[in-house]
Amino acid sequence: MKIVACVKAVPEEQDISIKPDHTLDLSKAELKVGQYDLNAVEAAVQLQEATGSEEPLLVSIGTPKGLKNTKLQKAMLSRGAGALFGVADDSLDSIDALATASILAAAITKIGGVDLVVCGEGSGDIYSQQVGPLLGQLLGFANLNAVSRITPRGEKLEVERTLENEVEVLEVTLPAVLSVTTDINKARIPGLKEILAAGKKPITVWGAGDLAMTAASNIEVISTLAPPKAERKQIVLEGDSDENISQLADNLRKVL
Amino acid sequence: MSKLAKVFVFAEHVDAMRELAQGAAQLGETTALIWAGDKSQAGGTDTVYYLGELSNERILEHYAPTIINLIKTEQPSLVLVESSRKGRLMAGIIAAAMGTSVLADAAQITVDNGVVTQRMVYGGAALSTERSTAPTTVATVSAGIFEATDTGKAANLVEVPFIAPAPTVKCLERKIKAGESVNLRAAKRIVAVGRGFTSPEELQLAEQLAAAIGAEVGCTRPIAEEEKWMDKARYIGVSGVMAKPELYIGIGISGQVQHMVGVSSARTIIAINSDKNAMIFNQCDYGIVGDLKTVLPALTAKLSK
Ligand SMILES: Cc1cc2nc3c(=O)[nH]c(=O)nc-3n(C[C@H](O)[C@H](O)[C@H](O)COP(=O)(O)OP(=O)(O)OC[C@H]3O[C@@H](n4cnc5c(N)ncnc54)[C@H](O)[C@@H]3O)c2cc1C
Repeated sequence: MKIVACVKAVPEEQDISIKPDHTLDLSKAELKVGQYDLNAVEAAVQLQEATGSEEPLLVSIGTPKGLKNTKLQKAMLSRGAGALFGVADDSLDSIDALATASILAAAITKIGGVDLVVCGEGSGDIYSQQVGPLLGQLLGFANLNAVSRITPRGEKLEVERTLENEVEVLEVTLPAVLSVTTDINKARIPGLKEILAAGKKPITVWGAGDLAMTAASNIEVISTLAPPKAERKQIVLEGDSDENISQLADNLRKVL
Repeated sequence: MSKLAKVFVFAEHVDAMRELAQGAAQLGETTALIWAGDKSQAGGTDTVYYLGELSNERILEHYAPTIINLIKTEQPSLVLVESSRKGRLMAGIIAAAMGTSVLADAAQITVDNGVVTQRMVYGGAALSTERSTAPTTVATVSAGIFEATDTGKAANLVEVPFIAPAPTVKCLERKIKAGESVNLRAAKRIVAVGRGFTSPEELQLAEQLAAAIGAEVGCTRPIAEEEKWMDKARYIGVSGVMAKPELYIGIGISGQVQHMVGVSSARTIIAINSDKNAMIFNQCDYGIVGDLKTVLPALTAKLSK
């Protein structure tokens, strides 16, 4: 079974600062692998282990800053995947979900012979939760989200979906795109050995021109602004002495 | 505000159907609902396109080719989609089939040279205003954006002929989950717990405080999604409940933006955390640096007096 997991480099949200005009300053934000993509990688690796197939491949779309960054490449490849395919171009910063899905579709088609694509629930930054669903439709594969368990059943997969009020158990014929929940597994934490080994894994980075695709978008971002922040008193007592707790209780009583 | 010619609603739950039908009426000259399942529940729009029953043989996803065909034929200007799991999947399927992207998690929708939505990005650190000029715009809509209407009967019920999908997904079983019904969005006081709690038993400390002050108990995402100590309907934040309490007490919660944005409009924020550098202390009115196992029993006792 040829398995691909999709991963995105996202800015560390704690390093995002807000400029006086309320726009965001991302320049100091380090890039990291989207938190929920780790579950997709883990699900792909666990399925590979269960079926004895070749190591899963990773596909990532983004800017050269992210995809050619060796620390980030290692963060992606130290969790059990065998190789990384990137599509990097400066024009691919903040593209919409359809554009991302079309480029992923083109990359997956170029890789060829892919049976299963695993996506996370949503990217760590924009979190539209749409790339998996769009990608499944573009590729014409079986297409499911909210997948909370994947079990191989011969040539097929048995998949559990956790929805708001019900759980579905489904039999899926490959090829498929599955978007997994964040509780499908606990993503492994790579050790030093895995991180070193990741440096030796094959990495292919394509430019936007290397793929057959049209990523025209009819959605325009008018503005991205931080909302006004409420002023807070920030009266913080240090230490859980009885006196401090009494004072907190007094403050709390005033607002009850 | 100018109106769109034709606005469609796609919902799977009745509550969302009622809200989105109201939204469709505000935004569109004519409105229609795409509905599967219990036919008697459908309404609130000028037209209902009824797909058929739901069963193991036919889950909602099996209607995808039927829905795509309907939308390609009817060419609505906008499809408002419930932001449930199945709604999100169908939004992506419809959008890809129509060659457009999805305006996701709209918290506000207006018509202004296209469809303009506002949504949170970067975990709630920013609001993004986006405009779609697609011939058919697809938007998933957050709960509570429109007020639910009384669903009057639709003037016009159209039974849509079924188009069989590729036989690649077979439903083996459907189990109803025993979910809790709690509406944190309406709570005036919330006591919220985070990963600073180390066992489900410890949560009682927070429940006792909540009982003493008449508050609902909420939590951070990992407490619901990873630990599964609380129902998902109780987690607060950008991907959970956007609450608007008067009072919020966050206990054992670090204060990351994805969570805090869900209570940012609270009049008073109180924080209890053992780490004096926890981010939540920069966003609170009153705080105490201390162990929740010490602070909570004492605080509850003092407030119960
Ligand atoms: C796309 C995306 C969407 C997300 N959406 C949400 C969302 O909607 N809601 C949400 O909550 N999260 C969301 N998250 C997750 C979020 O980023 C944080 O991981 C999460 O909110 C942290 O939860 P926490 O504060 O409980 O845990 P932690 O960050 O681990 O904090 C635990 C805190 O407990 C304190 N503590 C430990 N022991 C004690 C003790 N004995 N007494 C007192 N304090 C103690 C620690 O000092 C620490 O500050 C999202 C993440 C992403 C990437």
